[in-house]
Amino acid sequence: MTSASEARAVPAADFYRAMVDAGITDVVAVPDTHVRSLITLLLDSSEIRFIQAATEDEAITLAAGLMVGGRKPLVQIQHAGLYAGVNHLRGVAMDGAFPMVFMIGLLGRDPARAPREHFESLVRYAEPILDALEIPHHLIDGPEGVGLLATAYEEAEARRGPVAILVGEQTS
Amino acid sequence: MTPGAPSRMSLNSALDVLARRREDQVVVSTMTVMAPWGERAGNERDLRCVGFMGGSSTLGLGVALAKPDVPVWVLDGDGSLAMQLGSLLTIANAAPRRFLHVVFHNGVYDTSGAQPVLADASMSFAKLAEGAGYARAARFEDAETFDAALDELLEVDGPVLVELMTQPSGIGYQRRPAATAETVPAFALNWPAVRDSLAGA
Repeated sequence: MTSASEARAVPAADFYRAMVDAGITDVVAVPDTHVRSLITLLLDSSEIRFIQAATEDEAITLAAGLMVGGRKPLVQIQHAGLYAGVNHLRGVAMDGAFPMVFMIGLLGRDPARAPREHFESLVRYAEPILDALEIPHHLIDGPEGVGLLATAYEEAEARRGPVAILVGEQTS
Repeated sequence: MTPGAPSRMSLNSALDVLARRREDQVVVSTMTVMAPWGERAGNERDLRCVGFMGGSSTLGLGVALAKPDVPVWVLDGDGSLAMQLGSLLTIANAAPRRFLHVVFHNGVYDTSGAQPVLADASMSFAKLAEGAGYARAARFEDAETFDAALDELLEVDGPVLVELMTQPSGIGYQRRPAATAETVPAFALNWPAVRDSLAGA
């Protein structure tokens, strides 16, 4: 099975503007080559602070600490990082009831194929694992999807828990 | 004491040194130290790291980056830090200015039955922190020496790591009560109160 339409790249500048508009203060990241053009913008940003962590566990707890201090962070990782960080995702974001938003890059995804129909386990399990954890998620498969970022924050606040944005194609 | 083995201070004596200096710091505690710290010096700025072992150091870092004028102390365990050694790099690179990272190095997993941590006394968390790029790191084997040095360390632009060689607490494994449908995870109740205490800080 393939997607109804092929995933298209979101320009990094579009994502960046959506981040600023959503009021994001900090991006806590384990660098993901899928969104490297976005990271380049963030590193030069005077509006959003880019904080690098060594592991996804750390990114999650660091973001929680920022929220304790009143900030509005985004946790930016890739699918492998989701798998690596599940226990902290559970113990901190879910059990701690943090309205935490994750941006998860689907590195290596075939843009013509739906992620859960992908041949590679790295891409295929991202959505099922989020489903198993009962974490709402949204796939951004083109420039028209960047508004989902603000939606994710509203959803996270409403449910007092994490929400994930999946980046379907590498940013341009 | 085994000849050649380092001397170790009691956990309580180490906590007393810190408790005497408790003011408006955010204190992130975890595992064995949570209860005795709360009894000595707990207040509305205590974050208790329950349910995600190893997370205290970067949880504290996040608060420190959000509120750079508020001192943050992390009361970490050797087993906990061993689970997230990379956090030393994350903290060193973020360079929080008023950040004291205390590691209680007792050599065992106190709360799970005193199994050994893979960090005997010959291994130094202070040296790891120094190599990672902390502004200062020091190791202490007795509470008196720690007490005499702490005020100067608190004036250093951080991050600062203090490794305290402590005796195992001997509390042993304690079975956790099973959750019920009404149970709210402790951390969910704890952090909003700390956030509220920091509003405007």
